[in-house]
Amino acid sequence: MNSTPLLVTRGLQTGYRSGGKKLLVSAQLPELTVKAGRLICLLGPNGSGKSTLLRTLAGLQPALSGAVEIAGKAGLSSTELARQISLVLTDRVGGSNLNVWSLVALGRYPWSGWLGVLSDADRDIIRRGIDAADIGDLLDRKVHTLSDGESQKVMLARALAQDTPILMLDEPTAHLDLPSRIRLMRLLHRLAREMNKGILLSTHELDLALQVADEVWLLQSAGPLHKGAPEDLVLEGVFEAAFEKEDVHFDRATGVFRIYPEGGRRIRLIVTATARGAMAEFWTRRALQREGFAVVEEEAGDAIVIGEQGGRPIWVLDAGGAGRQYNSIAALLQALDHLRLP
Amino acid sequence: MSIAQNRTADQAPSGLWRWAGLFLLLIGALLLDLSAGAVRIPLREVFHILFTSSAGDETWRFIVERIRVPKACTAVLAGCGLSIGGLQMQTLFRNPLAEPGVLGITAGASLGVAAVMLAGGSMATLYAIKELGGGGSWMVTGAACLGAAGVMLFVLMLSRRVRDNVTMLIIGLMISSITIAVTSVWQYFSNPEEVKEYLIWTFGSLGGVSGGQLLIFTITIVAGLVIAFLSSKMLDALLLGENYARSMGLTVERARLVIICSTSLLVGSITAFCGPIGFLGIAVPHLARGTFNTANHRILIPACCVIGSILLLLCDSIAQWPGSQTVLPINIVTSLVGAPMVIFLLLRTRKLKPF
Amino acid sequence: MSTIFGGRGFHRLSLLLIVIAAACGEPQKPDKPVASGGSAGVEGHPLVKYAHGFRIDHRAGYREVSILNRAAGRSDTLRYLLVDQGQTPPADRPGIPVIHTPVRTMVVLASSHIGLAEFAGAADRIAGLGNFQYVSSPVVREGIRTGKIKQVGIDGSTNNELVIAMHPGVMITSTNPDAAFGQYKTISDAGIPVVPDAEWLETTPLGRAEWVKLIGALIDREEEVGKKFDSVERAYLSLAAIGRGAKTKPSVIIAMPWKGTWYTPAGESYMAQFLRDAGASYSWSDTKGIGSLALNVEAVIPVALKAGYWLNVGYVDSRKDIQAKDPRFAGFRAFQTDSIYNFNKRVNDIGSNDYWESGLVNPQRILADLIRILHPGVLPPDSLYYYKQLK
Repeated sequence: MNSTPLLVTRGLQTGYRSGGKKLLVSAQLPELTVKAGRLICLLGPNGSGKSTLLRTLAGLQPALSGAVEIAGKAGLSSTELARQISLVLTDRVGGSNLNVWSLVALGRYPWSGWLGVLSDADRDIIRRGIDAADIGDLLDRKVHTLSDGESQKVMLARALAQDTPILMLDEPTAHLDLPSRIRLMRLLHRLAREMNKGILLSTHELDLALQVADEVWLLQSAGPLHKGAPEDLVLEGVFEAAFEKEDVHFDRATGVFRIYPEGGRRIRLIVTATARGAMAEFWTRRALQREGFAVVEEEAGDAIVIGEQGGRPIWVLDAGGAGRQYNSIAALLQALDHLRLP
Repeated sequence: MSIAQNRTADQAPSGLWRWAGLFLLLIGALLLDLSAGAVRIPLREVFHILFTSSAGDETWRFIVERIRVPKACTAVLAGCGLSIGGLQMQTLFRNPLAEPGVLGITAGASLGVAAVMLAGGSMATLYAIKELGGGGSWMVTGAACLGAAGVMLFVLMLSRRVRDNVTMLIIGLMISSITIAVTSVWQYFSNPEEVKEYLIWTFGSLGGVSGGQLLIFTITIVAGLVIAFLSSKMLDALLLGENYARSMGLTVERARLVIICSTSLLVGSITAFCGPIGFLGIAVPHLARGTFNTANHRILIPACCVIGSILLLLCDSIAQWPGSQTVLPINIVTSLVGAPMVIFLLLRTRKLKPF
Repeated sequence: MSTIFGGRGFHRLSLLLIVIAAACGEPQKPDKPVASGGSAGVEGHPLVKYAHGFRIDHRAGYREVSILNRAAGRSDTLRYLLVDQGQTPPADRPGIPVIHTPVRTMVVLASSHIGLAEFAGAADRIAGLGNFQYVSSPVVREGIRTGKIKQVGIDGSTNNELVIAMHPGVMITSTNPDAAFGQYKTISDAGIPVVPDAEWLETTPLGRAEWVKLIGALIDREEEVGKKFDSVERAYLSLAAIGRGAKTKPSVIIAMPWKGTWYTPAGESYMAQFLRDAGASYSWSDTKGIGSLALNVEAVIPVALKAGYWLNVGYVDSRKDIQAKDPRFAGFRAFQTDSIYNFNKRVNDIGSNDYWESGLVNPQRILADLIRILHPGVLPPDSLYYYKQLK
């Protein structure tokens, strides 16, 4: 599967040129490669230069210096580039009276004849794109009547119809609800494997990216780009470090961002063997953190014991010597709240 | 999967009936325009004059052959040109309300004409040329062409440096404002006859084009139409916006150049020969899109030509309606017909949401 | 009575009313008001025979000039009292502008005013002119050259300060029905009488020319101007008799179409009167209106194709020019028989046409031209004065 890379950058620097001035966005970028069959996620906080990098790689804007080699060549013409890379962007395309099928068919632009006439082969590829994106029931709808999720799938189908080895997506999950986001990421991963495409997408969805990406490129506002398997980047502490600068704490153990800082009050959490402990413990820990507690292993004034009764978890609060039992986290928290009063 | 498989063509078979219907309408509009006029000539006579060369009534022959037929040809050509100009502008700027003169071409042509009619009086040399009868109406036409060409070159120059289409729109608006201001200054200092002459020019007229002028007009319009048709694919790609178009291999700067050239050719020559004619450029593309329910320019361009011709022929027939008293200026008729149409479209469908 | 209100009679009456209502709804031409049947109001003093727009009344110790001002559909009369220099104006006529005669200097705005002044021998009294571009009179041109005459701007853009600084005895303006007369209020408030010249509203050539008597009154030369006008009148009338008595009346078309509309003089205009007096057959001689009719080109073409003569063709100087304007004109009979005449023979080096200046006060010369064109051989041979044949 991993033969020659589809795309390689050499000494790339991205940025903008305005008048005679250069505005540097990303300086020393390492050598970036896109390989067939792999899904790469481009992550990073706002303003770190994700869009600029993506647009530069896609050929939408020129690099400040360095080269982007595609299929072994640099400096491809527009048409050649169009046959190598297809895009899904955040641009709105509603209202032009296009119906879904016509929009998807536009993806054949780099391949179709001189007046845009489609051959049978073209139509087959369009059909495959429609099937892959699962929009077969939307074909007669006008584009401006689609919901955000449907619209996203249609744009994906168009990119698939363009039938290129590389597919790049800019924030494809931006306007979608959670189920749609999950479905889209799942679809992209499958497409990479099944159609042997090299897919690069930029996103804010850290959790989904960590689950789905074969490789992650992590951009920082000030600092080098880190790339590698997502799990490696987590274990190396790169994620934590990158987001720490933004005053956001990434919890390596759980793989989530902690919204609430470490609390002041310490409390100990004990799980009995009988309880289906892990899940209850995980969620109890989160609730306690929200309330401003720091959950510790060792001895600390108060403690909560999670047990089980009748197949359901129960919480026993052992504070100030008294032990009371609660059947829900809400009740537990309420009790803790009372305790705070002097 | 079956739906996708059934899609053999962008046109459903019912599209053929639509074309047939439109062509019938076109023939009807042509006949109506040829029989409308201050002098009542029965339709049978009109046919007789058109298809035979036997001597009928000399006056009638003169009127039909040398007044009505050139006027009908002008209407067809101008109808095509204005509609395609409007279509291209609406696609390029992804704005459903764009009209052919949005780049300032019409304003530039008007400026040229005003220079000859209004300011020319105060320029001794220009007046002398007029007095010596140099060129006659060619002078007005030539000035309009120069004005349009001047604006076109200016716009082309700018399009190389400007990446963004909204900027171009604004520049076009500014050019129009400047020309109106300059023309107003000239009007202020002109005598009433000159002002009236210019005012009448702004009302538009299809009747002044014949003979050599008609030949040149035909050539320029056909050239503009051919360029537009050959760029159908380009126009389709532009529907998705510049980023997507670029990603599909379109050189957006070159596409813009071609579109501007084609539109300038069409709009410039129409304004030069017929004066400024409004509303068709906005309304007809929407009518075409609605009739054929497609955004494919390979279909829309011929559709706009036919629908635009029908409309302008109809408007011209209406303009002849008052009879032997004045013919209504064509610009007024197109506005009276076009404005309600645009409102009707806006209310009935939501197709005019911003691109 | 029963025939009016019963059955078909009633229908006919209502139809007639509808037609009248529709006709009354016809839009007024913006440049020249349609005359309401018969000239309203000012019947001429025997001194003024043909002009309907002004009259001069001699009263005890002064003269009263009344000018009918037809502006924006209304009519009102402007009055002026002409009082000798040094005399006090009459006490019983307060509020009416007074002009002290003879007027020593005057400001005029149009070249037609120059024509009137020159006829009356007052061209040397012109101190200010509206537009230097429209002058033919040698006296005035010399005055411009020496700087004696200043340019003051026409109609809406008159330079008030300049005029007031000159303090002329009178300012003569062209009337514009749309422009309120109030635009000259500043000047009249400064004590300078503003007198409108409405000669172009007259319906006969002699009526237009008779406005010279107004100038004559202003410079105290009424008798001389009167005599001079009488000889013009005599010449005109005798020519008219010849013209009207001609055996054949050739058909004539006037002017050129522009953008689908053919503006041709209406039946009550002075041009139509010229044609009648010259013995021409003019298809629109019976129409109403003192200005131009705006006709559909198609309505005129049937006449144009057969008309014997084509006159007043506008800014063209040769048959080639005419054909360049529109190749279809070559189908007109007048074009094919070389019978096209234009009144631009006397256009000077700055482009000003004397037809509008001295032609105004010499209608007999214009009439002679027309008769020579339309009826060759009837008059003793002589060259055309204002008209020339287009070759």
